[in-house]
Amino acid sequence: MAAARALSQQPNQGLLIPRHFHWDWTRKEAELKLLAVKFYGLAYAGKLQGIMKVETVAHSCRLPEQQGKPLVYIDYIESAPWNIKKLMAALGQPQRFRAVGTRLFEAAVLQSQEEGFRGRLGLHSLPGSEGFYVNGCGMTPVGRDPHKQNLLWCEFTPEQAERYLARE
Amino acid sequence: MKFNRDRNWLIKRAEQEDLHFISVGGLISRIDPEWQAEVSATPLVEATKAAFVRLLQLARRERRLTLEALADKADVDLAELVKVETDESFKPTPRTVHQLAAFLKLPAKKLMVLAGLLQVKDFGLQQASVRFAARSEPVEDLTPEEHAAFEEYVKFLNEQ
Repeated sequence: MAAARALSQQPNQGLLIPRHFHWDWTRKEAELKLLAVKFYGLAYAGKLQGIMKVETVAHSCRLPEQQGKPLVYIDYIESAPWNIKKLMAALGQPQRFRAVGTRLFEAAVLQSQEEGFRGRLGLHSLPGSEGFYVNGCGMTPVGRDPHKQNLLWCEFTPEQAERYLARE
Repeated sequence: MKFNRDRNWLIKRAEQEDLHFISVGGLISRIDPEWQAEVSATPLVEATKAAFVRLLQLARRERRLTLEALADKADVDLAELVKVETDESFKPTPRTVHQLAAFLKLPAKKLMVLAGLLQVKDFGLQQASVRFAARSEPVEDLTPEEHAAFEEYVKFLNEQ
């Protein structure tokens, strides 16, 4: 795909790519990327309570014991503000629904298992969320990523994913 | 997908989640504007946004902190903090405002209103915000007048 993209960006690409190809490389690439992206929404009482975006091609495992293996990458996860206990407490209002982020995170782990990635999961945690992913979910804090604003890269091995999903 | 139906498992996970912010902000208003509008009651006076930006600038400068140092101490995203201080139309995430309020020892609810995340009918706050925004100018050092305006406004926020 990288080679095709490079080819399509050549000044004289019309001469290099035969017209009968009928092939828009940029669009195809966008479509392929789209197939690798999935959005999850958790709705209740007619409202969106939380949302998550995951990707399956842009990232791979970084832990030495599973380096390079495919994983599900959580690109974005968020509960609606009224479901965040600390926020609502600061506003003097009750939290409406609990465990919204937990259910979304669980969906990502289950998708990883269904895709054949055996629960392998990765994400870049914001500073205030590191405790949740490392202590709460049991992910391994692999290290700071200088290419992603120095955020902490956290990862699940299949065993950690199993432990997370297990009934206790 | 087979989700875990064990109630105890879910309660335990919920307790862990409640201790943290797991939001990664920035997309809320684009996906569901209702998330932002849910707690609103009256139109926002634009002057409060200017007051929010000016308040942050002066509070930071009074502590002799760079943007980077403030982001580090308040545990907020530096890029977002830069946008807050340079773009009055930018709406920060609830988590960032909450963290800034905690660090600056200011009431989070008031700061949410100033940041445009929460809309309440508070004529006194709006008037005080307009006065504060008008009286404080972004210069290198705080002038005695700026310092007085800053102190007065912080006192007002904490008293209400």
